[in-house]
Amino acid sequence: MSDANVVFTLFFVLRQEHLERMNGTMKRLKFSKEKCIGCQLCAQVCSAIHEGMYIPSKARIGIETYYDRGGSLKYKDSYCTLCGICFKNCPTGAISKDDRIKVDYEACTGCGVCAGKCPKKVIKIIEGKAYICDTCDGDPMCVKVCPQGALRFE
Amino acid sequence: MLGYQNNILRINLTKKEAKTEPLRMDWAEKYIGSKGLSIKYLYEELKPGIDPLSPENKLIFMTGPLTGTSVPCSGKLAIAGKSPATGTICDCSIGGHSALKIKYAGYDAVILEGKLDKPGYLFIENDKITFEDAAELWGKGSHEAEAMLIDKYGHDYSVISIGPAGETLCTMACINSDYYRQAGRGGMGAVMGSKNLKAVVVNGTGGVKIPNIKEAVKRIAEIEKEDTLQEDNTFVYDGGTTAFLEACQDGGILPKLNFSDTTDEDWTKYNGEVLLESLEGKRGCGSCGLGCGNFLKMGDVVCEGPEYESISVAGPNAGNSDPVAIVKANQVADDMGLDTISAGDTIIWAMEMTEKGIHDFGVRFGEMDKYIEYLKLIARKEGIGAELALGVKKLSEKYGGTDFAMQVKGLEYPQYEPRGSWGMSLAYAVSDRGACHMRAYAPNEEVFAASIPPYTPEGKGEMVFNLAQWNAVKFSLCICDFWGTLNMELMAELMTLATGKEWTAADMAEVGTRVINIARAFNQREGFTAKDDTAPKRLFNEALKNGPGAGQKIPEEAFEDMKQQYYKVLGWDENGMLPESLLATL
Repeated sequence: MSDANVVFTLFFVLRQEHLERMNGTMKRLKFSKEKCIGCQLCAQVCSAIHEGMYIPSKARIGIETYYDRGGSLKYKDSYCTLCGICFKNCPTGAISKDDRIKVDYEACTGCGVCAGKCPKKVIKIIEGKAYICDTCDGDPMCVKVCPQGALRFE
Repeated sequence: MLGYQNNILRINLTKKEAKTEPLRMDWAEKYIGSKGLSIKYLYEELKPGIDPLSPENKLIFMTGPLTGTSVPCSGKLAIAGKSPATGTICDCSIGGHSALKIKYAGYDAVILEGKLDKPGYLFIENDKITFEDAAELWGKGSHEAEAMLIDKYGHDYSVISIGPAGETLCTMACINSDYYRQAGRGGMGAVMGSKNLKAVVVNGTGGVKIPNIKEAVKRIAEIEKEDTLQEDNTFVYDGGTTAFLEACQDGGILPKLNFSDTTDEDWTKYNGEVLLESLEGKRGCGSCGLGCGNFLKMGDVVCEGPEYESISVAGPNAGNSDPVAIVKANQVADDMGLDTISAGDTIIWAMEMTEKGIHDFGVRFGEMDKYIEYLKLIARKEGIGAELALGVKKLSEKYGGTDFAMQVKGLEYPQYEPRGSWGMSLAYAVSDRGACHMRAYAPNEEVFAASIPPYTPEGKGEMVFNLAQWNAVKFSLCICDFWGTLNMELMAELMTLATGKEWTAADMAEVGTRVINIARAFNQREGFTAKDDTAPKRLFNEALKNGPGAGQKIPEEAFEDMKQQYYKVLGWDENGMLPESLLATL
């Protein structure tokens, strides 16, 4: 990437974040681990909506609980916070972001930079394409099925 | 039909061969899945009269058409075989995540046949199946064995394992998964142990298809909000089954001192309020909506639970009111791979035998250190444990004390005192796997909802049949017991959504009746008749002294009357046998 491109990208990112802060309306997924029962209904419906079958291995969310050697209860909280780091680091410009993340699958090369940079480790590269939460276009199904209110969109 | 994988994984442990075959869809249409379908496979494939601990027995892990979908409470797995405790058919329903992993791996069921030549475990990941050595795991507690396997493979994998009790072929051995979930009753752990199979490790990354999935997901979400998550069900999130303690105390069906009486004035010392002070977190099974699991830490004692049964048997029924001892007993039984109910009932029977001076088993009511020590001895069949591992039925035949041997067909009593809920004596007597509370939960009608008077035989045959039919359908869908408001109409709608075939409430009811019948037919073929549908003499001869049911005992004629009512509703003859006309419908 040339210096001019870096400056332009940085300007664009800062402007975008400024706009989001100004209007203050952008909703994001929020997770309260103390309410999570580890049912994984979130991953099931995520895959059902996006893949046309229940296939949690391709879900764009990965919230789980498990017992660490039976002695303590641990939580895995992979979900998209719309931080935008994937978008900022996408080398091909395939990822765009407004109030949600969008992936242009024509442009996505499956290079995996986004997955590597994702602080929540929620992005998967499957069959050469990036699987990223799109908030179900602003109406996330995972939140609708979360039985104990551990997931919210606000 | 969609919803199914149309694929069975059949494992021959003797030959170390894994083969796949299509699911018998004609059977699935008649028995749905899980409970019903696993019994159908065993009915067709097991030779009558086989030794349950021989390689001829089979162990089936069966999912259902809803497994792996977003239908709430659908994450349970049926584990079925011929029971070494009773000689009857036995299907258990285990929680955790293993059912989903098996289904996502591409299978409706795993059928385990034969016997490994030495201790091993089975590894299943999608279509990769390997047979692994278990020398390092053999002898280990179930928890340590699971931890070692998860250390090796990671948290994406589910482990189904046995403890020492399964290895020693103790007929009270359970199968564990996810550390604290059990296929508890009937000695399925011993069947697994008899196959030299310490564990099954499974992961699946595939999918499950249902018709019109986007619309179906939305409708299922509505059902979850409107039905699953209503107050009648969500109490299990608030307190889990600890809530039953208060209900049973108030209703006069909380057993005390090996079922010699009911109710306990000290019950508030170990109730949900006390136990939940040590709550670390809540956990449910895969696809769960309710999250009944209470993960507790009390000093160095860690446990998910204890459930009501385990509280009662190691609490008032053992003359104990120390909550730490209750939780410790639960933890030890889980790790040893022992059914808390059967092992606990055996120890409290031994306590009564000792107290009465009939035979000295070296343990008296309230001696919880010994209770916990005896659990370990039973599991490893060491010292006195080798004798106690026989269970209440065989012990009482050998040492006396049959009148207060609380068992049916060799399976020990769950923790609901029938003199306060007469229908429960019938439910225990006619259940397909011996004394079991999961086949027809009579206290719900007779005590908690009070929809029918408890101290009468009137109407109990029909009541127990209705409850049994409902549970037979639920467990054949493999939906958790705790979705208590789930009616036949809703089950039919869920089946229609998952399979694309139109199901009505009447269709579901018909399946329920057929499942009861095939389980009975299996047992009938093994030689069971009405004379095996028994109740302990204590219920007939000793009146309750305390609680709302004080003064109550069940007249033996009333018990026999209830049995005949039940047989009649099902079209069985007076000897409790299915006529040819019914056998032909299976």
